[in-house]
Amino acid sequence: MTDKIMIALKSIGKNKNRNFLTMLGIIIGIASVICILAIGDGFTHTVTKGMGNHNTRNKVILQWEPTSDYNTDGGFTPNDASALSKIPGVDHVKLTSSVAEAGAKVQYKTKNVSIGLNKQPKHLSLVKGTYFTMTGASNGVYISEDLAHKLFKENAINRLISIDGTVFEVQGIYHISEMNYRPDAYVSKQIFKELFANQISKDQAKLYVKADANKKQVGKTAVQRMKKMGEQKNTGRYSVSNPDTVSKQFTRILNDITYFIAFIAGISLLIAGIGVMNVMYITVSERRKEIGIRRAFGATSGDIRNQFLIESVVLCVIGGLIGIIFGYIFVAIINAFLPFKAVITAYSIILSLSVSTAVGLIFGFIPSNKAAHSELVGLLKEE
Amino acid sequence: MLKVTNVGKAYGKFTALENINLEVADGEFLAVMGPSGSGKSTLINVLGLLDQSYTGEYLLEGKNYKDVNDNELSQIRGDQLGFVFQNFKLLTTYNVYENIEIPLIYSKKKQSKKHEMVEDVIEKVGLTGKEKNRPSELSGGQQQRVAIARAIVNRPKLIIADEPTGALDSKTSKEIMEIFTKLNEAGTTIIMVTHDSEVAEYAMRTVYIRDGRLYNDEKSVKNHD
Ligand SMILES: Nc1ncnc2c1ncn2[C@@H]1O[C@H](COP(=O)(O)OP(=O)(O)OP(=O)(O)O)[C@@H](O)[C@H]1O
Ligand SMILES: [Mg+2]
Repeated sequence: MTDKIMIALKSIGKNKNRNFLTMLGIIIGIASVICILAIGDGFTHTVTKGMGNHNTRNKVILQWEPTSDYNTDGGFTPNDASALSKIPGVDHVKLTSSVAEAGAKVQYKTKNVSIGLNKQPKHLSLVKGTYFTMTGASNGVYISEDLAHKLFKENAINRLISIDGTVFEVQGIYHISEMNYRPDAYVSKQIFKELFANQISKDQAKLYVKADANKKQVGKTAVQRMKKMGEQKNTGRYSVSNPDTVSKQFTRILNDITYFIAFIAGISLLIAGIGVMNVMYITVSERRKEIGIRRAFGATSGDIRNQFLIESVVLCVIGGLIGIIFGYIFVAIINAFLPFKAVITAYSIILSLSVSTAVGLIFGFIPSNKAAHSELVGLLKEE
Repeated sequence: MLKVTNVGKAYGKFTALENINLEVADGEFLAVMGPSGSGKSTLINVLGLLDQSYTGEYLLEGKNYKDVNDNELSQIRGDQLGFVFQNFKLLTTYNVYENIEIPLIYSKKKQSKKHEMVEDVIEKVGLTGKEKNRPSELSGGQQQRVAIARAIVNRPKLIIADEPTGALDSKTSKEIMEIFTKLNEAGTTIIMVTHDSEVAEYAMRTVYIRDGRLYNDEKSVKNHD
């Protein structure tokens, strides 16, 4: 094989200028392919890295949404989770919540209010009272100005209120601005965990799938199953959630650009292919004497066809290699302007070389076949 | 070696060969003479399995190759036949060694064996030291030696030569004919086209072609006129 490639290289070297011009199309085409793939790969790389744990590579996220505004508590139950984990392709299931607050009922004398409540944050600026981190099973509570107005006529500090039947003492009042959303009340971390955390409705089920699983199929099956046997199917609706809509939009724009460049690459490869075909036709007709001699000395028509096919492939692969080099240069230039780093992967190199080979095979085939099947006596009359 | 019975060949309405009968024995050295356009090349193209579109019967070593597939024909040409063409027909972009090597490219032999065979014939035709030269750097006689070396490198049973001395002066022709004689003495059958009667003298037997018909001696050609 190496000697056949040497023969091909030799005869390509005979017509350097002509062959270089023929290669130009391939060089441009392959350089574009390299650039597209580098930008695409760089982008996906950056996006998936930026998303960190949110990357949805190995999981399907199932959502429960309430169907009415009156009864918004609900989601997935442990029974649902075990049903979901039995779906083929699912490894294990985790229930989480899209909101961090627990729903609770506050009572003060005769007043009843439904609130959202959470564990206290590290820092909080108050309008009344002093803020500190409550330790242990402290029964202190910080409430919003709003809630204070609803419950008390005046002076809320140190008053006792009942939240879901447990008594708490108001330690301070904070303001909720339009810009900054906060729950209605904060309790200590430990109390929150002990009394309220389990009340947070698990409206998300994360289905961790096995490596070979079809995520789309898993999602579909999961929704079907929950519709039939979900414990809270009557109060809510199940669906597969797509957390990365933003990056999806980006990807769509990128895809449009990619299609455009791919279109240019395709056109230039097509033109290159026609150029290769043309130059191979010329080569074949210039070398009729050589073909005749080889045939007279034992070459089969297959040998001749292969010789010219190899030549056409070698021509294209050389073009491809030069294209790859140009691709590297262009990517280096592009990277100076891009907000992320375009990367050339081994895959894109392999793809480029495969495409070059394919162009050589496809467009070299007809001329090579012509060479192989020329009439022998006629060939030997050539000088 | 070969037997031709009632072979004919037509190019459209033009009859290039007509009713050819010829038998060549193993080890024979046959000269084919005739004026230009008489059909000499046409005949040896048939004998050399280069042209399969003839009528009649042609047996090479008792076998009819008329309906044999292309690959098998190529193999026979490569293994058993050796061609020396008019005007040398060397590849100008290849050097002497590479030209001579061509028939071996298509045979299944070890690389070292091939090298040995090429060096062997280069010595035989007296071109030692010229391996790396291009044909354009050689004299006509040397070029014809390259062509002969290429024809015999695969040790064929039958050499078919079309005007091997056509482009050479009489002294060089003589040297070339001496190589042929040696090859023939070593057992190779040779069929040689020539229109030089001096060259034909090197052959054991001469046949004559005129207007596509074959005659066994010059007299009968003249009687025909
Ligand atoms: N492809 C062809 N089509 C039509 N006629 C042809 C073809 N090839 C050869 N002929 C004719 O066949 C006849 C014999 O040709 P051939 O080449 O055998 O002659 P030749 O005896 O070898 O002559 P020369 O000594 O000049 O080489 C010639 O008259 C030629 O014109
Ligand atoms: Mg002739």
